[in-house]
Amino acid sequence: MSLIYKRKSNQPSISHVIYDYFGEIRPFAKRIEKKHLILPLVFLKTIEWSIYRWYKTPVRRFYGVKGNELVYMITRRCNERCSKCGIWKNPEPDSEHLKISDFINCLKSLHHNLYQVTLTGGEPLLFMEDVLQIAEESKKLNVPMLIVTNGSLINEDFLNRYSKLGHILVISIDTLDKEKWSEFRDRDDFDTVMNNLQISRKILGDKLQIQSVFAQETINDIPKIIAFCKDMGIRHVSQPYMDFGGVWQDAKQISENKGDIVCAARKNICIYPNGDVVKCFDHYRIPIAKEPLGNIGKEDIIPILCKKRSTEISKIMKNCNYPCKNLSCNKPQTLLFN
Amino acid sequence: MSILIIPCYIKTEWDIDCLNRLLISVQNQTQKFDEVYLVEDASPFDYKLQFDFIEHIILSDNGGPARARNIGIEKALKLNAQYLLFTDHDCILDKEWNEQMTSFLKKTEFGAVGGMTYSYGNTLLDYYHDINGTLNGKWLLPEKKELWYMPSLNFGMKSAIAEEFGFDERFPTAAGEDVDICLRLRSKYKIGFCAKAKLWHDFGYKNSITGFKRFVNLFKKYKSSSATVYEGHTVLLWDASESIYKGNMYEPNL
Repeated sequence: MSLIYKRKSNQPSISHVIYDYFGEIRPFAKRIEKKHLILPLVFLKTIEWSIYRWYKTPVRRFYGVKGNELVYMITRRCNERCSKCGIWKNPEPDSEHLKISDFINCLKSLHHNLYQVTLTGGEPLLFMEDVLQIAEESKKLNVPMLIVTNGSLINEDFLNRYSKLGHILVISIDTLDKEKWSEFRDRDDFDTVMNNLQISRKILGDKLQIQSVFAQETINDIPKIIAFCKDMGIRHVSQPYMDFGGVWQDAKQISENKGDIVCAARKNICIYPNGDVVKCFDHYRIPIAKEPLGNIGKEDIIPILCKKRSTEISKIMKNCNYPCKNLSCNKPQTLLFN
Repeated sequence: MSILIIPCYIKTEWDIDCLNRLLISVQNQTQKFDEVYLVEDASPFDYKLQFDFIEHIILSDNGGPARARNIGIEKALKLNAQYLLFTDHDCILDKEWNEQMTSFLKKTEFGAVGGMTYSYGNTLLDYYHDINGTLNGKWLLPEKKELWYMPSLNFGMKSAIAEEFGFDERFPTAAGEDVDICLRLRSKYKIGFCAKAKLWHDFGYKNSITGFKRFVNLFKKYKSSSATVYEGHTVLLWDASESIYKGNMYEPNL
């Protein structure tokens, strides 16, 4: 059965319908041993095919099964120069930056499927108004949102508006040592971020989280950050170091956690700043996934996800054993009920 | 240790007849079930059963087959069952069904298993379901070495899988919940096909003319859930699959 997700006026054409019909009927007819029953059985198959194709169920979306995470790298630009990350080295030009309306259309198309929208970068808050617009839209669509930020651009006005929407803010902190901080980020904004952290805690409460990258460089810092978070009553998450163009060293003891399932294959829908769609931001490791599946600035997200290559990539990702499988976006529990 | 879980929602006398027929087939198994849980899901029809080997779990309110099965699973896991098998009240088990299902799970690496389902009736509509494979599983193409999904009326899983993957109780009827659980558990495990684990399903067609409405409603019910399942599993559903039917039960890959 052709699994049409949503029927729209621009798809599929009559030739597609005919092709689909005969694609269903032909193999079915071949199975019929009692040849005198071919006509009535093909008639019954036609009824089944028509129901699957055209019957609109009144309880559509009733169950609210949500299995996908939409991850939007809103920009490659960043106001910091962290050595753990190389994304900032290739900022997108203005001409290639996706229009916010295109992303919101994508969000609207997918929102029934989503248990979370995640905004990452670069530094997402360089586009603070866009971020708030997405946050408001997510709220309207009842999809929880999460932003990962370096914390340097946060201000009270943003926090007040963001807190009303009930979404989560994650501040990235890899050390509490001021000197090391400057070395890690190539910026002297330790005091600014720590001050923003205090204000964020006050305004966002338990919607604030801290995330650290677990690497050779931070092995001694992470326990201190965890203790700090415990004192502050802030939830802390450690992510293993991934090579996104940075120069840090992987702390191998946790990235060699073999046997875990790769869940990104079936749940993640990732968007680049220019609107390119991939199944995983680490897709360059997979030969057939190097090229994006499509671009949401040019076509609707559903046909993009329904491409045959999307399925093929999912199959490969299910068995791939790259270090990125230890990232939180690969955790199987997020597949389960929300 | 194998435990059979049967969710049960009795609306008519016909349902009672089906259930009695099923329980006779359960009684006649060459390898007995260690426990048989009949989870009574607040049926509107009063009935009494004459079988002493079943444990009748009575729910106070109707929650659908997914919830009923989960209650059975929870109880079975407390007993440290190794294999949890599922069928429906309108099925009749082959006498070797339990033996074949548990032996398949025991001998293979598959986390779950589906068997071969035939239509019980003799109408044209029943014949249609047989060659259509309506209530059989689907092969995952192109290899046909594992299943894309298996309906819960002829289904079994190892206890470790049941601990991790329950049925989604938000599916209120017997439609879609089995596709959903199969898609979720396939993120981590494989579902195998055991052609020798046979059962017959009674679609309830008296004849092809009067049964036609029932036939249409059946597919409308499945479609009503499938739209939701598609939305919940946007991408994975596009894995190519092919129905198992009478003619391909003896696949060379088995």
